[in-house]
Amino acid sequence: MDLKLPHLGEGADSGTVVNLFVKEGDLIAKDQPLLELENEKAVATIPASAAGVVSKIYVKPGEKLAVGQRILSLGDASAIPAAPAARPKPVEDSREENIIQTPSPEQVPTPAPEVVDVGEGESAKAVAAAPSLRKLARELGIDLTRVRGSHRGGRIAIEDIRAYIERLQRLAAQPRPAAPSGAAPVSPPAQESIDFSKWGPVSKKPLSPLRQVIARRMTENWNAVPRVTQFDEADLTVVTALRKQYAAAYEQRGARLTLTSFALKAVVDTLKKHPIFNASLDEAAQEIVLKNYYHLGIAVDTEAGLIVPVIRDADKKSLLELSLELEALARKARERKVAADELKGGTFTISNQGGIGGAHFTPIVNKPEVAILGLGRGALKAVVRDNVIEPRLLLPLALSYDHRVIDGGAAARFVVDLVSAFEHFEEASARL
Amino acid sequence: MDPVKTEMVVVGAGPGGYAAAFYAADLGKKVILVERDPRLGGVCLNRGCIPSKALLYAAHTLTAARESEHRGITFGPPSIDLAKLRLWKESILNRLSGGIVQLAKLRGVQVIHGRGYFEDSKTLRVETEQGQQFIQYDQAILAVGSKAAMPKAFDLGNPRIMTSTEALEVEDIPENLLVIGGGYIGMELGTVYAGLGSSVVLVEALDTILAGADPDLARPIAAYAKRAFKEVRLKTKVSKMSTSGKHIQVEFATENQKVVELYDRVLVAVGRSPNADDMGLENTRVSFDDRGFIHVNEKQQTTDPSIYAIGDIAGGVLLAHKAAKEARIAVEVIAGENSAFADVTIPAVVFTDPEVAWCGLSEAEAKAKGIAVRVSKFPWAASGRALSFDRPEGLTKLIVDPDTERVLGVGIVGTGAGELISEGVLAVEMGATAKDIALTVHPHPTLSETIMEAAEAFYGHATHTWARKKAALAEP
Repeated sequence: MDLKLPHLGEGADSGTVVNLFVKEGDLIAKDQPLLELENEKAVATIPASAAGVVSKIYVKPGEKLAVGQRILSLGDASAIPAAPAARPKPVEDSREENIIQTPSPEQVPTPAPEVVDVGEGESAKAVAAAPSLRKLARELGIDLTRVRGSHRGGRIAIEDIRAYIERLQRLAAQPRPAAPSGAAPVSPPAQESIDFSKWGPVSKKPLSPLRQVIARRMTENWNAVPRVTQFDEADLTVVTALRKQYAAAYEQRGARLTLTSFALKAVVDTLKKHPIFNASLDEAAQEIVLKNYYHLGIAVDTEAGLIVPVIRDADKKSLLELSLELEALARKARERKVAADELKGGTFTISNQGGIGGAHFTPIVNKPEVAILGLGRGALKAVVRDNVIEPRLLLPLALSYDHRVIDGGAAARFVVDLVSAFEHFEEASARL
Repeated sequence: MDPVKTEMVVVGAGPGGYAAAFYAADLGKKVILVERDPRLGGVCLNRGCIPSKALLYAAHTLTAARESEHRGITFGPPSIDLAKLRLWKESILNRLSGGIVQLAKLRGVQVIHGRGYFEDSKTLRVETEQGQQFIQYDQAILAVGSKAAMPKAFDLGNPRIMTSTEALEVEDIPENLLVIGGGYIGMELGTVYAGLGSSVVLVEALDTILAGADPDLARPIAAYAKRAFKEVRLKTKVSKMSTSGKHIQVEFATENQKVVELYDRVLVAVGRSPNADDMGLENTRVSFDDRGFIHVNEKQQTTDPSIYAIGDIAGGVLLAHKAAKEARIAVEVIAGENSAFADVTIPAVVFTDPEVAWCGLSEAEAKAKGIAVRVSKFPWAASGRALSFDRPEGLTKLIVDPDTERVLGVGIVGTGAGELISEGVLAVEMGATAKDIALTVHPHPTLSETIMEAAEAFYGHATHTWARKKAALAEP
């Protein structure tokens, strides 16, 4: 029996083998870890889907592995470790940190990775659909966990499957964002390799899986979203004072009171006044989806590249809670221990480069979100107030937004309110 | 005899094997069905489901006659002609297994009687009465089933110590019968013998009978056993058995004492073991789990690419209807369809008096796995139909997902529960909500109404019960 790489979750259809835990001749039990796979933005442990003796291994560390590809073969075994004789139950939602749940390969038809499912993907829950429809879906290779059921109790009916197929076809028919025009080939033409060593010595390193994902996502976002960036500056006098006043108290609670913490609070308050910035465009349904929750993505600069973990329900958290979570998430991101789920579901992103330097920049909107806020380094500038020139610490703000959804007037109003949220930051919010 | 070539060979003609052979033939495959017994139908038809149901029916007439006294109807003491009872039971089995022979013939399925032995992954040798027959096949489906387990310590070679196989032959009606094992086989056969007039003592090592069923479903059975059996001893083990003249001397070990008693017969019903020995499977690449069941994946494939396994031999729950479902899957996979045993609801029925049946998620399972559910119950004491035949002890309950109101499981105890559960299975398979069931008109007066009323009770408005508190969830 061959053990193959199971489907790993949305979008994660391949990866690079980092660690191999078994060797030929090993007796393995069901669910025993086989290898670690670096994919997308996390490192996932792949468990064995069956027990047996490893007769042959087909993969090596460093090699690429895609869904459905053979990992190893199990041979005859007179003594096989106690495997539950019962049949594989639908997988429970028992996710451990950074392990992506893996239904067995036969169960899951090839996913359509291009589809952006907004608010879907409860794959751990059993699908509610008639047995005849489940059979049909299996034959057509449709993953019913991606189909929205329209009947009572979320039950999937034949028309839901039909609508889903039509949607897939519509999406497939749309010109690829990467292709220049309608008549372009489906895959972009292979880039010609240039021999740079002709002009001087070079060194090479492979594009890491994370880098590849960043490259693909950025290209998609850049091409799909007509983006405008709105600049402004916020006077940090109040925030700086609050920071000075409370930093020690926060430290006692184990938290660092950073500008990003204040920014989270200011952004949530502003988003509440401008719900369109906390929305998504559902192109298939021609609907704008306004979200009644505030999950803020934080761009984290790591050695491997950009990672954007998400702080959930930022509107319900205190400045202390936000500061603690911010630091924990950033640390997890740097250690590449962020679970796949912690990267999903964001409604707005903040990218703070202030810790490094630089002023205004033009961030790229992180689809399916519709806006992103870039923060530069606060700098002392001469400001005219009441006809007097004073030195003031000003924070560069750069708000990029999706002009399909948001107009310039709305963006200007958002920025005005955001500047005000910084400049009139309420002490009550900072108080412990 | 020259070797024969076939596309498919099915080993074992029980409810899994003949279903697989027939379905494959219906799909146009050339199929040979190999059975070691002279009669087709396997344990289910010959030594299990069917004969036990026939005997339960016969015993029920005796019980029913006794219980009609308070309705003003009395009978004289019954006389039981065991030979005639056996003959009647045999006639049913002959008729059914004859039917399978006919159906095989009509489909062009070749039946070979004899023991099958695998020479290698592609060749089966069958020891027939006419000599050896070699079969070369593309794919084999193993459906060789299981047999009643007889622990070595109890196997004295004394015919008074029986498994279910011998008990179903009803050689006599023992005055004193000991049943070891309070699972469904022990409970059903204990019910048969108690009905026929034996004084039955049942022992169970666990602290409950019918351990797989939710406690509230098992309770009426326990009450029945208390009444109909001489005794039910829980948390008791048989430590030793020995022959003592025309009796079996049995030593019991309970928590802190030892008891020695004499019985006319003993029924050992402690489980079933797989039939995979002496079949040459070591010459193939098939692998086994530690209990001897064959490893299969959800496509019923074994670790040998040309061999599939279905039914009891493939482990899991040992039920005929599970075998028949797996037969369909194995054949579909062989036929190149993308089929798999996934999300299948397998109902369980225990044919005690009253019957117990359940499907999908049980209350105990939900609790153990921490799945949030709401349980909606309808007691049969409020059912006119149940009262009309004097059996108000039943209960129908739905296990419902509080968010989606989907019916995740159904449990029924009461007369005819086995017939009623199918509506529950359909509901679970269809992803029906409690509302769907509540909105479906059920005929009056029937027991099926209890399912509708349990669904109505979920919303706090069952006609024939009164909920003190309205259900916590508002109606949509």
